[in-house]
Amino acid sequence: MTFGKILPSWFFTLCESTWPGSWFKHSQWLFAIDETFHIMALGMLIGTLVIVDLRLLGFGMRRQSAAQLATYLRPWTLLGIASMILTGVPLFMSEAVHLSGSSPFLFKMIFLFCAVALHFTLHTKAIASSRGQSSGLDKLAASLSLMCWLGVALAGRAIAFL
Amino acid sequence: MFPLLRFVQWLNDTPVSVYLRESDWPFPIIETVHILGLGFSVGTVMWLDLRLLKIAMREAPVADVVEQLEPWAIRGFVVMFISGILLVLAEPLKCYNTVAFRIKVGLLILAGLNVLYFHKRVIHNMDQWDRDMPWRAKMVAALSLVLWLGIVIAGRWTAYF
Repeated sequence: MTFGKILPSWFFTLCESTWPGSWFKHSQWLFAIDETFHIMALGMLIGTLVIVDLRLLGFGMRRQSAAQLATYLRPWTLLGIASMILTGVPLFMSEAVHLSGSSPFLFKMIFLFCAVALHFTLHTKAIASSRGQSSGLDKLAASLSLMCWLGVALAGRAIAFL
Repeated sequence: MFPLLRFVQWLNDTPVSVYLRESDWPFPIIETVHILGLGFSVGTVMWLDLRLLKIAMREAPVADVVEQLEPWAIRGFVVMFISGILLVLAEPLKCYNTVAFRIKVGLLILAGLNVLYFHKRVIHNMDQWDRDMPWRAKMVAALSLVLWLGIVIAGRWTAYF
């Protein structure tokens, strides 16, 4: 399954031929620099998620509550997600036609959608109701969150190889 | 010829190296593990540094952040180091000849010395750091952020050249 089977092909050619897609496509440097920022944003985002999710699972910063950690880190998580999307869109546009035929890319977008949706629903709920020791809900939310983000990273890496 | 280059060439021709380089799956799998290790180690080190610089998690006591995040940074680093050795083993000659990789190794050594300095000379009475952060701790944190940023960039760029 690929995006090419869901969306019309003119959409992908349009992405590649308009700014910033066309710009990034023809400048190797721009692409490489943006990809570097994309990975830096990933490092920042994963860090905040790992700290909060480990705590929900009962590991890591146990002297603080999950709710405390989530409050400290929420602005950074949102900044991380925003900068990943912002740096990711031009990367997609510059390679839209190629990516329309890539199934890892479709999986990456599905995992991303699930991860973000989960973050604002079950994850937020688990943190709000967490009471120090990690409950079943905490563990479920944290493992689903970690798995979705792992899926995003793995599928993202697989784009380059498959 | 330099002894190091001779060693690298010998390594490049070993069956393990040839296998890692020429078969389809090992390289992407090891690279993925390497990046996951990066998420854990750089992901946690970065927050530790940002706490020392009083930029993030300001409400949490410094000692709590350092003591509770450092073990995870170390675990992530071990995963990253082992998978990194395997990645180099897959392409010893290419790494030897890549400027970005040489820079990366240099920066890694500096990052190691920075941690050593932090533990030998800077970590004393961390419970007082909440009131008064020593300038050395801030310096170590800022240096660590810059070094790891450089390591990630040089690592990514090793793949481009």
